[in-house]
Amino acid sequence: MIMLLAGVLSGLPVAALADPLNVQVVAQPPTVSTVLGGRFMITTEVKNAGSAPTGQILAHLNVASIAGDVYVDPEDWSQNRSQQLSLKPGESRKLTWEIQAVNSGRFATYVVVVPFGDSATGNEPVKVSQMVTVDVAQRSTLSAGGALPVVIVVPVLIGLAAAAALFRVRRRRGPAT
Amino acid sequence: MTLQVAPPEVGTSPDVMATAERRRGWLVVAEQESRDLWTSGRGLILLLLFSILLSAVTYLTSTNQALNFLEQRESVNLVLQLAVAVGVLVTLVVSADGISGERERGTLESLLVTPVSRRAIIAGKLIAALTMWFATFIVTIPYVWVLARGVGILGQAMALGLFVGTLVAVGLGSVGLLISGVCNSNKTSIAASLFLLLILFAPTQLPSGLPQGWFFEVLLRANPVASALAYISSMLVEGHSWTEDLSYLITPLLTALIAGGALVFAGPRLLRLTPGVSAG
Repeated sequence: MIMLLAGVLSGLPVAALADPLNVQVVAQPPTVSTVLGGRFMITTEVKNAGSAPTGQILAHLNVASIAGDVYVDPEDWSQNRSQQLSLKPGESRKLTWEIQAVNSGRFATYVVVVPFGDSATGNEPVKVSQMVTVDVAQRSTLSAGGALPVVIVVPVLIGLAAAAALFRVRRRRGPAT
Repeated sequence: MTLQVAPPEVGTSPDVMATAERRRGWLVVAEQESRDLWTSGRGLILLLLFSILLSAVTYLTSTNQALNFLEQRESVNLVLQLAVAVGVLVTLVVSADGISGERERGTLESLLVTPVSRRAIIAGKLIAALTMWFATFIVTIPYVWVLARGVGILGQAMALGLFVGTLVAVGLGSVGLLISGVCNSNKTSIAASLFLLLILFAPTQLPSGLPQGWFFEVLLRANPVASALAYISSMLVEGHSWTEDLSYLITPLLTALIAGGALVFAGPRLLRLTPGVSAG
């Protein structure tokens, strides 16, 4: 009987027994303008608005392109995109995210909060911050024209020096018999 | 090489003799070897080939229209890694010619009768081979400057290249001289050295998409060239601090210490008319 009861209980969705994730996530600033390669920081404040501790939760940063056809690899934008935390009722925590703009265009960055570890059952709603719009201007610092003098002059100078050295060696040896 | 240290009975002026006595033997050998390397045009031809290679890579990198900021750091990293790898290669080739070349050209005998210790001869040859590395490094500066403009990593890249490259060049230059001492002919010595370098470069050429488990990590860290290049990459591309991945430099440092130490101890036995450490 006990075995049967345990089996029935284990089959129930656990989310139905636990408090839903009740947190507020606010991201700042609302917009960022930078150039390609520029580094910037956004902050998010995660607040437990519920009456129970959150347990372990995970705040995760994401980046998406919102204009044009730009492929975004969020790992390139930020090396640390996940932060784990737990909050008591009413407690809030400020999280900072260091980001580098690695593509030009218009992007949205946002932070999503999900349950972590044992507190995740697979059925809870996730909480998402409002998006931070990031405008990244193109910057071109490399050009073929800039590299051309070095690319040509260096081998030419070394070639001339090598030719002079070989000429001197041949002259020292004298004419071939 | 024909060492120009005249014995007293030849009638050299007392001033010259006093100067020669004051100067240490290794310095005389290093100077003479370097002069041979550079005035014969041999070093300059290697340097010319090196600069053509860097020119080709730099031009291809800078004409890539899709290049973005991160890739620019990567292109600095690419050119610097190439410079270190090829700079070490030519240093190894020059040092691999050091002893077996003298044997083959029949000039080792005259070198051995000069009043310079065998260790000093070995040290001088190693220093002369290292001038090749320093020359390739100087040639690299304008290329890195062109690519690093606007990213603000020129100073860091050059300091990193000089430090890491010198460490690897000392280690592999010593290995080259050891190989040269035990090889019968110059061809064998250079071929063995190049083969060794090929083995050392192999792990760096594995596709990055391959699963890289603990075995790859061991392979990478056990290899002085691959681990030195990984250290450069971690600082330039990933932006790590100089202390963060310092463990990558353990193998290059150990190679320099072990090969350099072996050269100091076995050097006098290697520098003989017949190859090998135990030859008669």
